[in-house]
Amino acid sequence: MPSYLFWLFSTVMLIGGTAVIAFRNPVSSALSVVTCFVGLAGLFIGLSAFFVGVIQILVYTGAVMVLFLFIIMLLDLKDEERRANSLAPVAAGLGLVIAFVVQLIGILSRSPDKSLPPLDHATLASAAADYLPSGKIAASLNQGKLPDVHLIGHTLFTQYNLPLQILGVLLLVATVGVVVLSKKQAG
Amino acid sequence: MPAYYLEALTVTLGIFLLMAEAFCSCKSKAWVGVTAAIGLTVIFGLLFISIGPDTMPQADWAKWPLWNFYQFDGLAKFYKGFALICTILVLLMAVDFRKILSRFTELPDSESGTGEFYALPVFACAGMMWLASAKDLAGAFVSLELVTVTFYILVAYMRRNVGSLEAGVKYLILGALSTGFLVYGIAWVYGTTETMSLEKLAHLEHITNPTGLLFGIALVIVGLGFKMGAVPMQVWIPDVYQGAPTPVTAFLSVGSKAAGFILTIRFLEPFLHSDITRGPVLTILLILASATLLFGNLAAIPQTNFKRLLAYSSIAHAGFLLLALAAGKDAPADLSSAKVVSFYLATYLLMTIGVFFILAQVRIQRDGETIRDFNGLGKTNPQLALALTVLLAALAGVPLTAGFWGKFFVFSLAVDAKLWIGIGIAFISAAAGFYYYFNVIRAMWWFSPSKDDVIVLPTISKICISVLTVAVLVIGFWPQPIWALLH
Repeated sequence: MPSYLFWLFSTVMLIGGTAVIAFRNPVSSALSVVTCFVGLAGLFIGLSAFFVGVIQILVYTGAVMVLFLFIIMLLDLKDEERRANSLAPVAAGLGLVIAFVVQLIGILSRSPDKSLPPLDHATLASAAADYLPSGKIAASLNQGKLPDVHLIGHTLFTQYNLPLQILGVLLLVATVGVVVLSKKQAG
Repeated sequence: MPAYYLEALTVTLGIFLLMAEAFCSCKSKAWVGVTAAIGLTVIFGLLFISIGPDTMPQADWAKWPLWNFYQFDGLAKFYKGFALICTILVLLMAVDFRKILSRFTELPDSESGTGEFYALPVFACAGMMWLASAKDLAGAFVSLELVTVTFYILVAYMRRNVGSLEAGVKYLILGALSTGFLVYGIAWVYGTTETMSLEKLAHLEHITNPTGLLFGIALVIVGLGFKMGAVPMQVWIPDVYQGAPTPVTAFLSVGSKAAGFILTIRFLEPFLHSDITRGPVLTILLILASATLLFGNLAAIPQTNFKRLLAYSSIAHAGFLLLALAAGKDAPADLSSAKVVSFYLATYLLMTIGVFFILAQVRIQRDGETIRDFNGLGKTNPQLALALTVLLAALAGVPLTAGFWGKFFVFSLAVDAKLWIGIGIAFISAAAGFYYYFNVIRAMWWFSPSKDDVIVLPTISKICISVLTVAVLVIGFWPQPIWALLH
């Protein structure tokens, strides 16, 4: 990814993220989250993670945030009241953030830059050796295409199967939790 | 039986309980908790006949990629057993706590809103068991999230109680923050080493510039510090512990803490073996240990609420555990850091859960959790007061109780590693510990009760308290059983 694109998308993300907190109106905040996610999707695509980037747009911005907006509008939330901020917490927060950023800059300036391996025909074809030669993945890789949906599916369902199952349990628990904490029972 | 069946069975038990509870029209939900406890006891029995891939390398299942994420060594076995016993005791405590629980859930007069309260800890237990086997940062992270998300729900479970809701929101926000640190740290570790497998992380020889790696390790320690309750990531503990339902507080202070420690042991193991990272990691741990010891013990002194006092005491114990980690003694040694931490946690489980059993009953029957509510317990319930005296003395570390051995091993490790500053602070802390634990003992025996109501213990609580107290005393002069489990 050209570095100016990286800076562009990161700036979009940062502006979106800041706007979430800065806006008093919940609808504006939710739309700022959408902006932030669009920037993130751009970063993913720039890193050749095309599938994740598209899913980021489809699922997060398309489905989750729209649902969020619906809920906010249905609940008819009012603007958050402006509170008088006392100086001490703001100063402490700023101090922490600045200390963190300074440290981050120090570390980044001392770490060597790594570059992403190029996604050319040779790299893709050499990666094909890890997969079943007669399979779809190896065929696409040999043709110089990136079958990223297949690759993610392959990784998730073979190598990362156990974490995937644990995530399933996690989702079940979260669903139960939502019901438990919000249901009203008929007397 | 292959070891991964244990978690599968635990999750199956949880799903079964959810379904059975939903379709049963019984008035009382106590049976859900009792069934869960019985089921987990069976799984605990199966733990002893489970085997890892090393025992049967020729079997089909031993070649699965599952074992890239799952290990079954002595430590994993110990912490799986730990999670199971802790969950069983918490479930039994919850059965006796259901009066308060139903008062603050939907329809205060019936128990209809409380069924899931007994099923959720089973899922948390499965998460802790997976954590005990963690072998890969991605797998460890999802298991840790399973535990944390379950706790978000459990802490806020009494949703008609403002304290519980406040605790739930605080825990959610700070827990999310800690998760952020953890993931960011893992990303840095992955970025510098190009692997998330703890086995491969042990080979760091090719890394020439460790700055990024150290930054990642520090961030992960910050994230794990939230779970362990280490200063300065302890801010959530007092409020959350005080607001959460008492059985959940017990679960948080024992189960969640142990999960944090086993993951820390697993995560730091490869880095403690490498010369580039060993020094800085041990320094961070020593600083954390000293700060945690000082803060936990000194802030506990002025407390008047017993539950809050126990929250600070749990921070203080995290300090001792971190001091043992900071000594950095490797596994082949007879008294290694990991073993001492495990031993300490085992004794801590017995003492803390015992105290919480008593606290839960005092909460129900005297309707309060302050130290004043324990006034005159020695006159109304001499046996209960005696049990609490033994448990508190053990928490303080009086010789001939289980708590003494834990502290003794920590001190001997620290002396071995020549951590003189840490030892000095630990001595001050232990002395402060005597003061605030004996404050409660004084309230029980010296002061007269405000009301002459005798506390009547339900059968389950009575059995659990007596077993735990006797265990604390027996291990006080015969600690070999726990060591045997660790070898």
